[in-house]
Amino acid sequence: MTPMRAMVIDDSRAMRMILKRIVTKLNFEAVEAGDGKEALDLLADMTEVPELALIDWNMPNMNGLEFVTKVRADPRLREMTLVMVTTESEQSQIVRALAAGAHEYVIKPFTEGAMIEKLALLGLVPTGANS
Amino acid sequence: MSIEVEVDESDLAEMVEQVWESYLDPEGVSPLIPTYDENQPSEVHSSVSITGTWTGHVVYASSRAAAQRAAAAFLAMDLDEVSEEDISDTLGELANIVGGNVKAMLPPGSQLSLPQVNLTPESSARFPNTQRIGGVYGVWEGEPVSISMWQSRIDNKEEGA
Repeated sequence: MTPMRAMVIDDSRAMRMILKRIVTKLNFEAVEAGDGKEALDLLADMTEVPELALIDWNMPNMNGLEFVTKVRADPRLREMTLVMVTTESEQSQIVRALAAGAHEYVIKPFTEGAMIEKLALLGLVPTGANS
Repeated sequence: MSIEVEVDESDLAEMVEQVWESYLDPEGVSPLIPTYDENQPSEVHSSVSITGTWTGHVVYASSRAAAQRAAAAFLAMDLDEVSEEDISDTLGELANIVGGNVKAMLPPGSQLSLPQVNLTPESSARFPNTQRIGGVYGVWEGEPVSISMWQSRIDNKEEGA
C-alpha cells in the first residue's frame, strides 16, 4: 500500500522537525516547506498531491491563510486536508481560517497526543493511534 | 495608542506550563521550578515583538545549558547532538509560541513579529524605551530560565499626552 503523504509548512525548522516526527510516526511520508510560496512551488511539481498539509499561519513570503485560500481555489489540490497549526488562537482568526477552507485548527503549544487526536477525527489515522 | 496589558503573571505561568507539558517535559518529571528572581542570570535569549493594541516584547532567556537541554527535548535529540542552529531555532520557536499566546489574550488588532534570537544575555539585549512588566522566573534542572514581558514606554507617554 502506498503511504499517505503530509506536507509540513512552517518557517520554524524546529517546529517542522516536531511535526515531521509526529506524521512519520503515523506512517506518512513527510515533505517540508518553509512558507506558503515554497509549498505551492513544491505542489506544482508533484504528480501526486499529499493527502494532508499542516500549515503555520505567520510565515514570510506567503502566510498560511493565503496558502489555504490558494489551495482551495485550485481544483487539482481540492482533496488535500488542510490543518492550521499556529499560535493564532483568537476566535476571529480561527473563523477566518475555517472560512478560507482549513479543515481543522491546532493551537501551539500542542501535545503529540492532541495532534494525533485531531488527525484521527479527520479520518487520517486510525482512532486509538495515540494509545 | 496602547492599552493596559491584560496578561498577568498567572496567565504567563499557565502558558509556560503548557509549553513544558507539550515540548520540554512531556513526561511531567522535570517542571520549571519558580524562583521569582527577576535578576537571575541568562546567557542566551530570544524575543518576539507585539505591536498594536499593546506594544512590547516577550522574551525567553536562559543559561546556555538550559537552551541546549531545551533544544534536545524539543527536537528529540541527545544533548551531544544539539547544534547551535538547533538551539537558535528552538529558542526562536519558544518565544514565538509564548508571544503568540500573549497576543491572543490582547484585544484584536495586534501584530506579532518573527522571532529574534540572540545568543547573548537578556541583560545586554536592547529593548529601548521599555519596562519589564512581569515574568516567570525559575530553574529547570538546576539552570535558570525566564519568560518576561516588556512594555514600550513610548506608548505610556502617548497615553499621557
